[in-house]
Amino acid sequence: MSDNAGTQALAALRRPVSGLVRGGVWMGAIGALTALLPFVGLTELARALLVPAPDVGRVVTIALIVVMGLALGWGCTGLALWLTHLADHRLQASLRRAMVERLGAVPLGWYSDKTSGQVRKAVQDDLTDLHHLTAHHDVELAGAIALPIAGIAYLCWIDWRLAVLAVLTWPIYAAAYAWMMRGFGDKMTQLDESFGKVSAAIVEFVHGIAVVKAFGQGQRAHKAYDDAVGTFGRRYAGWVRPLLRLEALTSMALSVPVILVVSLAGGIWMIGRGWIAPLDLFAEVLVAVVIPQTLQALNQSITAQKRAQAAAGRIEELLTVSPLPRPVHPEEPADASVVFEDVGFAYDGQNAVLDGVDLVCHPGTLTALVGSSGAGKSTLARLVPRFYDVDKGRVRIGGVDVRHIDPRRLYRHVGFVLQDVQLVHGSVADNLRLGRPDASEAEMIEAARAARIHERIVALPRGYDSVVGEDAVLSGGEAQRLSIARMLLADTPILVLDEATAHADPESEAQIQDALSSLARDRTVIVIAHRLASIVSADRIVVLDQGRIVQNGRHEELLASEGPYRRLWQAGHPTQDVEPERKIS
Amino acid sequence: MLGELKQVLGPAQHGRLYRYLAWLCAWSVLEALTVVLLVPLLGALLHGDFDQAWRWLLAMAGMTAVTCVARYIQSMRGFALALVILETLHGRLGDHVARLPLGWFSSEKVGRLSRSATSGTMMATNLFAHLLAPVVSGVLVPAVIALAMLWLDWRLGVTALLCSPLIYVAHRWAADAIARNDDVVDGAAAIASNRVVEFARNQHTFCAFGRTEEGYAPLEAAIDAQRVAGGSMLAQTFPRILAGGLSVQLAFAVLVAVGLWSALHGSIDPVRLVALLALAARFVGPLAEAAAHSGLVRIAENDLRRLADILATPPLPEPATPRAATEPGLVEFDAVSFAYRDGEPVVGGIDLRFPPRSMTAIVGASGSGKSTLLKLVMRFFDVGSGQVRVGGVDVREQDGAALMAQLAPVMQDVYLFDDTLEANIRIGRPDASDAEWREAARLAGVEEIADRLPEAWTTRVGEGGSALSGGERQRVSLARALLKKAPVVLLDEATAALDAENERFVQEAVVRLRRDATLIVIAHQLPTVMAADRIVVLDGGRIAESGTHDELIALDGRYAAFWHERRRAKGWRLTAKAVS
Repeated sequence: MSDNAGTQALAALRRPVSGLVRGGVWMGAIGALTALLPFVGLTELARALLVPAPDVGRVVTIALIVVMGLALGWGCTGLALWLTHLADHRLQASLRRAMVERLGAVPLGWYSDKTSGQVRKAVQDDLTDLHHLTAHHDVELAGAIALPIAGIAYLCWIDWRLAVLAVLTWPIYAAAYAWMMRGFGDKMTQLDESFGKVSAAIVEFVHGIAVVKAFGQGQRAHKAYDDAVGTFGRRYAGWVRPLLRLEALTSMALSVPVILVVSLAGGIWMIGRGWIAPLDLFAEVLVAVVIPQTLQALNQSITAQKRAQAAAGRIEELLTVSPLPRPVHPEEPADASVVFEDVGFAYDGQNAVLDGVDLVCHPGTLTALVGSSGAGKSTLARLVPRFYDVDKGRVRIGGVDVRHIDPRRLYRHVGFVLQDVQLVHGSVADNLRLGRPDASEAEMIEAARAARIHERIVALPRGYDSVVGEDAVLSGGEAQRLSIARMLLADTPILVLDEATAHADPESEAQIQDALSSLARDRTVIVIAHRLASIVSADRIVVLDQGRIVQNGRHEELLASEGPYRRLWQAGHPTQDVEPERKIS
Repeated sequence: MLGELKQVLGPAQHGRLYRYLAWLCAWSVLEALTVVLLVPLLGALLHGDFDQAWRWLLAMAGMTAVTCVARYIQSMRGFALALVILETLHGRLGDHVARLPLGWFSSEKVGRLSRSATSGTMMATNLFAHLLAPVVSGVLVPAVIALAMLWLDWRLGVTALLCSPLIYVAHRWAADAIARNDDVVDGAAAIASNRVVEFARNQHTFCAFGRTEEGYAPLEAAIDAQRVAGGSMLAQTFPRILAGGLSVQLAFAVLVAVGLWSALHGSIDPVRLVALLALAARFVGPLAEAAAHSGLVRIAENDLRRLADILATPPLPEPATPRAATEPGLVEFDAVSFAYRDGEPVVGGIDLRFPPRSMTAIVGASGSGKSTLLKLVMRFFDVGSGQVRVGGVDVREQDGAALMAQLAPVMQDVYLFDDTLEANIRIGRPDASDAEWREAARLAGVEEIADRLPEAWTTRVGEGGSALSGGERQRVSLARALLKKAPVVLLDEATAALDAENERFVQEAVVRLRRDATLIVIAHQLPTVMAADRIVVLDGGRIAESGTHDELIALDGRYAAFWHERRRAKGWRLTAKAVS
């Protein structure tokens, strides 16, 4: 991303704490100014001391001013950093909240394997990267501007020639710096680009390492990685290598010994010409060596600053994902019926996954969606809880378009059991109560019993208070029954089941079927069926192919007619085919 | 930190690192000594002795020249090391990571690794190029100046030396508080981040249960806890950091006070005092400068530590003289036990023999150790005790590539490269003929996927295979295994059998594979189990039963129970009305 976009994103993100940052910048500037005070003070002290009969009171007063100036300066710098750290702290907290809020509001279609990594990066690393920018960079910058200006002004006030003397060596480094930075923008773009390739190569290298090792292709990903890092390293090194000698040589112009020698040589010459007094030179020497240090500190934080800008860009990107639109005048569904009307949908807006789907599911019936993978059955089911919005047509619940139902109410009508069980980090009871935090203990236990998981929970070390993944180590099948109990407790009149047995242990499959059957009772149920055997007595079986309904009816009817259902049924029951094979072997 | 610098640079560079550090120290000492010459020079100047002043200036110019040479050498050496990092660290990281046991690669580690390998290496580069020098000289220069003061004026010298422990203690006090609070803050940050990621990853569930609308209490609590931890860190550490900085200023104030007191009592020449105070100002300056870099140094230290940690992770030991497999297709477990964490064995006392061209089905509940057995065959981990032999030779005595050449895995996590469908299948055997890979693809059911895709076989599958569904990725993985024609095939059926179609392809592939290969299958489907020559039932990491289907049914033990349960499950009919 370009620097400009990063900078803009950053400004927008930091607006809420800009007051604190501004305060920090002013304090930092004052702190930097007072850093000059001891040097000015020392000069005055010397003036007061180096007279034939020093005025002790004046000497002590100046000394006290110097000490107090020091304390004040340090206090201001400290306060500046405290303000900016406070700003950073608040910014991080508010950004994290904003991210969570956004994460809850975006369409589910936005989520994928890739984005969970992106979210992790944003909440962990990117926020950390912002720290340097908010908490340190601006204060440093303020100091780097205020201190040289004030120092030069002070020297001008004594004698303009001293100011010239103090910055005499600067042009050497400035010219070299300008020469080194020529074409900086282009170089940075090139480097960013090859750095992006390095990142991609690393991801592919580490994620694919199992495949790579298993198929003896160690060279393949490794080579892509080596190519990417080699190109980056060569480009970067090729750019900086010729500059290093120049950098090492010219940066000496700003080093303490060189400035001292130049100042003293020039100063002694000026004293000889009668332009200045020895104590004026004394002041110049003290001030001249301090000024360049702040500039160099700033130069060195460029890497951290670039990193922060990139981080800000990514955070901004996350925060500007469009949320799922909300209804202005929400309506309440009248019953538990589900109706699809001429539904069309594409994940990417182009390749239709569903096209012209019309389907009515009456309350208290069970509808099974079947079809080969990629037929669109999971997508169709996911439109009911409005995980995605349709592109064409509409989905109605109880007569109301799902887009007109308040999202806060929708989940009380539609429950969803996923194929891959998602348990959260927390106690078993927390997990069960996810949909109804106020459910009573009795209700919770009743749901667990109905899902055939109560006995297992009671056998855990701390029963319902056992923490998932810690002392509640559950098998896949058990986790599934837990998720079914959770669904029972949520008690929604409409239920969408992604047939939950695919990952189950064979041993618990029968129990899961029991649990599912008790869940299905008296509700409008839509099942995404992977195994036809479990849904043969569904009220209706809907066969999907390439996003369209191609067959529709009861098991016996569908099996009786030549069509895709019969082919699926035969493909799904290969037991008969394997038996002879076994005899052959 | 030195240890981490050495780790990150690699053993070949230790000498250069030491020489760099030596030059860095030499430069700092020389610079301090140059600055010390200010005292006689300013003394002469303020006394009006210009000849003397010019002589001292000449001496200073000479010292400056020497300092500049030292500075140039240390800069160039620092730059050279930075270039070493830039050009070799990525490669060394890659080589090292490639030798780590596959068991090391958790998703958390992988995320950290990519970050370390990208921005972490840049920070390490910057450390040598720019950061280390001001920090080292920021501490060394004042130390040398303090010692020099002792020689120039014992009162101020003693004062400076007495102040040093004070400064040290104050900074230590602040640093300890920061470190202590850092742990608390990091802990709270990790919990909050995990909650946010959990929230993102389980979005379907949170959405389905209304948590995205009404808020999820643990997440909010975690964010709040992090805010509180950060706030208390600021409250606790800032006074100390202020005190640490103040101690430096205080030292300067004490030097001024002691000097003035001496001057006013006539025990020190005022001119000399003024010159000494100028030196005292240089005593304080570098310290403040070092402190100004502390923020960046902390970032660099963290990056450096992460990089060093990765490089310090012991790789899987490779045998010095690898042995070649003697009996292709034979896999044996000899009294094998293994634990991910000490004291919590996952499998124990495993004795198994998988003869060439046999088919074995492994069944058991999740957590019984089924996939661990397959991972031990592939040497994702090394056994705790006992021996795993593939092709008649202990896996630890074989070259890693030679071991993998004998194995074709079809595992749960399938990774596809962001390349064409064809290239992803060809990974199985790059020199396979067109006819061969097409045949493997057909058998595994990838042909149907290609038919549906816009550019058929040349369609790119996206990063990690994101353009394909889970079942489709599995089929590609199956095609790779078929193409590889390895003597041993390891198949985890769990996810391969996502739906009826996949199940059919798996069955067909099994029939095909067992003709030429030893087949070890983690079986979930009855047809697969029944097709096996032998069934091994695992329970709690141990072999509970083993034998043919008929033998185990006759035994009427765990397998028989499993069989009957499965028959019942097959017989279930999910219906809204007619359930008991």
